[in-house]
Amino acid sequence: MKRFFAIIESPATRTFLLGLVVLSFQTTLFNTLRPFGVVLQLMLLFSCASGVAAGSEAGAVTGFIFGLMYDMVLTAPMGLSAVVFGFAGYMAGGVNAFVHEARWWVKIIAVALSTATAVLLYPAASLVVGVDGLLGSRIVTVAITCAAFNAVLAVPAARIAKWALVKPVRQAIWAE
Amino acid sequence: MIVVLLLTSILLVTLDLRDSGFVAGVRDTFGTLFRPVERLTNVVTKPVSNAWRGVLDYGELRKENLALKDLLVKQEGTAIAAAASVREAQELLALNGLPTLAGIDSVTAQIVGQSPSNFSQTFELNRGKSSGIRVGMTVTNGAGLVGKITDATLERSVVMLATDPEYAIAVKVGNCPTPVTSPAPETTTTTVAETTTTAAVVPPTGIDGATTTTLPGDTTTTSSTVPPTTTSTTSTTTTTSTTTTTLPKPTTTTIKGFTPFSTTLPPRPGGAGSQITIPDTGGLVPRETGALEGRGIGRTPIIRFVQASERLGALCEGVPVVTAGGSQSLAPPDLVVGTVARVVNRKGTAGPLLEVDLAANLESLNFVRVLLYQPATEIPR
Repeated sequence: MKRFFAIIESPATRTFLLGLVVLSFQTTLFNTLRPFGVVLQLMLLFSCASGVAAGSEAGAVTGFIFGLMYDMVLTAPMGLSAVVFGFAGYMAGGVNAFVHEARWWVKIIAVALSTATAVLLYPAASLVVGVDGLLGSRIVTVAITCAAFNAVLAVPAARIAKWALVKPVRQAIWAE
Repeated sequence: MIVVLLLTSILLVTLDLRDSGFVAGVRDTFGTLFRPVERLTNVVTKPVSNAWRGVLDYGELRKENLALKDLLVKQEGTAIAAAASVREAQELLALNGLPTLAGIDSVTAQIVGQSPSNFSQTFELNRGKSSGIRVGMTVTNGAGLVGKITDATLERSVVMLATDPEYAIAVKVGNCPTPVTSPAPETTTTTVAETTTTAAVVPPTGIDGATTTTLPGDTTTTSSTVPPTTTSTTSTTTTTSTTTTTLPKPTTTTIKGFTPFSTTLPPRPGGAGSQITIPDTGGLVPRETGALEGRGIGRTPIIRFVQASERLGALCEGVPVVTAGGSQSLAPPDLVVGTVARVVNRKGTAGPLLEVDLAANLESLNFVRVLLYQPATEIPR
């Protein structure tokens, strides 16, 4: 039983379950809400928020997992979103290298910048693997809209990501 | 760790681009696991989605509804004429042993999901392999080509829209008809003889109460009581007037890309028959083939690899675009795609680019038809 709870409460399981829930919101609610015709990137938000909450490496891993899950429901080449979201998570986590305890507005800026970079990077990465035609003037609108939305939700998303990624106290007790 | 993630991504992309069965299997398994979670979330978030749509789309929907009603009225008559023409064309094709769309089975499916990406343009259908749908099959709606199936599970399938940058298909484009200078309208002069009687009647002078009655063609009756200074004259005049009647030329509805060169049979001798027009196949405008490619959201697809030559005639806007078909094409021939919206001429030997307005409105799709058509090369032996 202890082992079962340990597995359930482990950061990996929590992250995976969080990813499933966020992905389901991405494919349902956030697929309908399209301000300026742009699909808001909730999966990217949590990738960046993980970096802000738990550092570059954790951000990269979470971003990679979230990106991989996102790739599963897209028709784009598998692994493309994974590498882009992983990079975004790593970049957002870079904020912890500069400041010890990032202020809320620093988190917002980090998430917004990482989101915009990832949105711009995705068509470029697609071009590398032979998917042409995604680079256009519309990409700027998409980047700005996604960055603005993710900036608004950066702080609560970082809290949720922290809950998922930080090892719970009870597990430490059982481990003894 | 970062390097491992990067290498894993590269490996996965490579495997997927090489159509690995492993990647497809992982996707299918994840889809099966994820579907219940998605359904549950959909139930929970549906009110919010509906509220959002209600707030933002209500006015637009009302306008669209009115416009569609107008359009429907206009289309009804056209549809009847078109249905008769299609039937006639199918009979002709059947008589000549040529393939037609009528012989291809199809499955009607509803769109139940949309890609959550800003870059790919795909929809999810509520029918899959159990309904006979396979990867590569063509998807249409009432208006024309919509896209093709790119993924199919037992009960679901994914349609890639024709505007997706990864979409390409061989199409035929009609060239412009040769401009024909229409002669001036014929003027026929018909001369009609008329007899007009003009009577100049001098009113009674009031002197002696004499009255004069004038009848056409009659001789003059002159009262003897009229004083010599007063004259009552009656004249009969015959005039010839000329009326000019302009007979209009018979009107012809011209479809771009098709010039009705024709042979006209004269009316039967002695009978009052109508003229019969027989299309001359030798005079039909030639059609060129090219490759239709999607260019992403908000951009019209283009046709490449067409050549503008003097011999074949010019490429112009408004001409219809249909699928080319062929032994290796995933779509059957002569499926309506749309019309040419713009011709972009390029220098050198590159040939012009044609921007295409798709006949199907891809922004408001609900039900679509999947043609259960596979070319001979795709059917497993």
